Order: sequence, then structure tokens, then C-alpha cells
Amino acid sequence: MSADHALKQASATPVAAEPDRWRVGSALVARRRFMDRLATVLSLCATSVALVALVSILLTLLVRGAAGLSLVTFTHSTASPGLNGGLANAIVGSLIQTAIAIAIGAPLGMLCGIFLANYGRGWVASTTRFVSDMLLSAPSILIGLFIYQIVVAPTGQFSGFAGGLALAILALPIVVRTTEDMLALVPTALVEAGIALGARKWRVIVFICLRAARTGVITGILLAVARVTGETAPLLFTSLGNQEWSVNPAHPMASLPVTIYQYAGSAYEDWVQLAWTGALLVTLGVLAINIIVRVGFDRKGA
Amino acid sequence: MSVLAGDLREAMTSSAMIAVKNLDFYYGQHKALHGITMDFPKRKVTGMIGPSGCGKSTLLRVLNRMYDLYPGQRATGEVMFDGRNIVAPGMDMNRLRARVGMVFQKPTPFPMSIYDNIAFGVKLHEKLSRAEMDARVEDVLHRVALWSEVKDRLKSSATALSGGQQQRLCIARTIATRPEVVLLDEPTSALDPVSTARIEELLDELKKEFTIAIVTHNMQQAARCADQVAFFYLGELVEIDSTDRMFTAPREKRTQDYITGRFG
Repeated sequence: MSADHALKQASATPVAAEPDRWRVGSALVARRRFMDRLATVLSLCATSVALVALVSILLTLLVRGAAGLSLVTFTHSTASPGLNGGLANAIVGSLIQTAIAIAIGAPLGMLCGIFLANYGRGWVASTTRFVSDMLLSAPSILIGLFIYQIVVAPTGQFSGFAGGLALAILALPIVVRTTEDMLALVPTALVEAGIALGARKWRVIVFICLRAARTGVITGILLAVARVTGETAPLLFTSLGNQEWSVNPAHPMASLPVTIYQYAGSAYEDWVQLAWTGALLVTLGVLAINIIVRVGFDRKGA
Repeated sequence: MSVLAGDLREAMTSSAMIAVKNLDFYYGQHKALHGITMDFPKRKVTGMIGPSGCGKSTLLRVLNRMYDLYPGQRATGEVMFDGRNIVAPGMDMNRLRARVGMVFQKPTPFPMSIYDNIAFGVKLHEKLSRAEMDARVEDVLHRVALWSEVKDRLKSSATALSGGQQQRLCIARTIATRPEVVLLDEPTSALDPVSTARIEELLDELKKEFTIAIVTHNMQQAARCADQVAFFYLGELVEIDSTDRMFTAPREKRTQDYITGRFG
């Protein structure tokens, strides 16, 4: 209707009134309208395929995982088949190793991101940026083997600390990247305003820039947490896994992903059930972090 | 007698707070200022006008050595301030910037409370007790006529203030470190007319205590606020004179063309 109106208006001008041009125009418009609809339908299809897959995964996890969820899951450690074990050691192990990873990876990553954003001009910076980006896409099992070679093999001891270290290397490039990106968004004028008051550059960076970028930097750290809590491969050769309750990072330590890996393929029904429950817990944890990031920080505008 | 002596001293000291002599400035290979020589008289407002890219902001950024942040930018010549050539090597940049403050085109409130915005600069240079700091904050907010508007929310974020309020806060922050010179780089170009008028009123108050250099694209603003006006064109100082003479009887044709709107 409004399109017709527009056409009539166009025909009022002498040039557009030529009949030939009209026909070419309408064919073109029809073609574009068709392409527009086609593209819309195709992208809706693609979206629904992705959504169906996601919802199906979540529903399956929820149904099969929730079946095994009880207080015992949180109070008891993993046990031999038939002994009604829980996941307490795996949950706590995951928390400890993630904490180690973030305690090492976040400060290092922030320092590195600060360096890149504020002093990153020479070849050192471009090399650092390149290596960090490479690390971001490195296969996580390689990181596990690397830590095995430099920590586990020399000490002859699988340990929660080695697991945390491997996860730290995975968290590092995520924090580097987000810190640099967020600091780059801080207006130059703000830096100059701090310098103009007679502040040294480090003080401006720490007290003004980092503060201005804090929501973005925290978001990056939380995303790194979400990423490393689901990692299995780097832990296989480092923290190994542990059937018993252990909170000593110097000893082998259980974790949810490794437990899932070991139990999901086992022949015992109660172990398989625990694997489902563990998968549900990891997923809910990661989901919770993502929701916190969205709701808590997006609103204020990172 | 003593009055006469006072006048005499005033005349002598008011001669120049900052004296620029044969100043050249380079962005890498590009020469942006050519042999600038001019004085910034004590407790007077010096307006700097000229088309975009004429070097007026560049000169302003020499006066507090802001250009030091960027490698490849350098100045040669002489800028005398309190007995020292500030473009010579070996300056204590942070001391200089405490004595020569700067306000920017866009308001730049720090992401912290109104109170902390002012305390940030003061803490860099002075150790004040809590009570002294409170007094300093209140004093400067009074002087920029912001106190009544913010006195009940000193602890809330400065970024929630309006643009005009933010700019007055930035001026308060700058004078809180007790500088002798205040540089203003188009301080009202991002503000509405009412906020602009308030800032201009403020300048009249501030010049009683500070030496002021203001870059502006607004001819009326220069005419209203400045005691002397300098016209820059293509990196050269074309003409500098009292505001009256500059706008009524400029000596240079280029000045006349610019202020009557024929180019730029």
C-alpha cells in the first residue's frame, strides 16, 4: 500500500514516467523483495536449527541429570559402583582448580592487557599480541601435555596445582584480549585529563582507565572462568582425577569434567547417572556465569 | 606612595606569566608551529582564535607539555614560565602540570564520585587531612557555582551530571590543585548556550586569580571573555592585540577576513 503510494509519487517526475524504466524498476523491486524474503526465511531456519539443538541438549541434560540430583551428590565423594557415591570431591576439585587458574591467569592477563593497550607499539607488543591470539585457539590438550612436561614429569606427581596451572594458561589469553579491548575503549581525553592534573601514567592507568573499563575487564575474567570450568583435556595429564576426597593441591585432584569423562563411558549405571548429573552441574554453572555477566554488567554499559 | 608602588609592581609582574619566544613545533616531520613569539599576561585572559589546524591547540598543548605523551612530537625554542624554559629537557612534568592546569573540549569526568574527582588531583601534590580536603572540595565547587547543585550527592558518580555540570566540575578539579595558569581548549564547544554562558561568567571570576589561555572557535566568545586575542593561521601567529583593537581595527587583512567570516 505504502509502496504503491511511493510508486505513484515517483511516476509524477518526468524521468521516472518513462514506461521502459518502469518495467525494469518493478522487476528489480520484485527480485529484491523476493531475495529479502528468502534471506529472512533462510536465517530463521538456521536460527531454529541452532535453537532446537541447544534446547534439546539442555532438556536432555535437565531430565537425565536431575534424576540423579540429591543431597548425596553434594555431601559424598565418588565411590565404587553400587556404593551410592556423590560428586563432592569433583565439585570442590573443580572450584579449587578454577580458583588457582584465575588467581594466576587474571592478574597476569590484566597486566599483559594493560601493557598492550598503553605501551603496545614496538615489536615486543606485536609479538605478544600474536602469541596471545595463538594461545586463544591452541588445542587445550596441548596445554595439558605442556604442563605435564614441565611440571608433572619433573616432580613425578600429578597434582591439582598442575591442573590449575594448565587452566591458567587457557584463561590467560581471554583476559589479555578483553583487558586490552576494554582499555582501548577508554577515551584518550580521559587519559590526557589525568596526565594534565600532574598524575603519572601508571596512576592514570590504574585509577582512571582500569576503573572506567572495570565492568568489561570483570566480564572478561568471568568468561574465562566459564571457559575453564568446562575443560577436560588439560586436566587429564595434570590433575589426573581422584576417587577420594582431597583438597590438597599437591596431590591428584578430582574435577567435574574429568569425572564426567571417566564415568560417562563406564558400564555401571550409577556411574553413568553421576556423569549426567555432573554435566548438568557444569552447564548450570557456566549458564549462571553468563547470566551474571549479561544481567549484571551489560545494563551499565561495559 | 605605596599605592603607586603597588601599581608599579602590578605593571611589572603582570607583563608576562608565560613568555613564548621563537617556538617551533613538529609532529614528526610536519612543522605545525612557525616561530611563535607571544606573552600570556598574568591574571588576564588570552583568547586564541583561527581556523581548524592553525596550531592554536598545538600551542596550548605545549604550555603544559601534553605533547610529551606522544613520541615524535617535539618543540624547539623558548617558553619561559617562572624562570624556567619549560620546553627544555629536564623539566619535572608533573610539577609543571600541577602549576599549569588544563580543561578539555569534551567534559572528562573520571569514573568516580564527584568528591573523588576533585580529590584525585589534589592528593597527587598535597597531603591534606580529611577536613582540609573537605574544605578544598567545597571551596572549588563554590567557585565554579556547582556547590548548591551537588552538595547532597558528593559521593555519587560524576558521570551522571549534565554536560555543563561536568565541565564545571572539570574546571573545579583543575583549580583544586592551585595552578597559576589554566588552559582551556574549546571548553564550551560541546555545551548548550546556557551552560556556555555560565562557563563564560566563570572565566571572569577565575581571571582574578589565574592566568587563562582559551582556545575558541567562537568569535563572540573571544570578544566577550578575552583581554587580548591572538589570531593563528597555518601555524603562524598572524596578529596579537587587545580584544578591542583586534575586533575593531585589526592591522592584518587576514585577521579582518577571518573575524568577519570571509574564510575559515
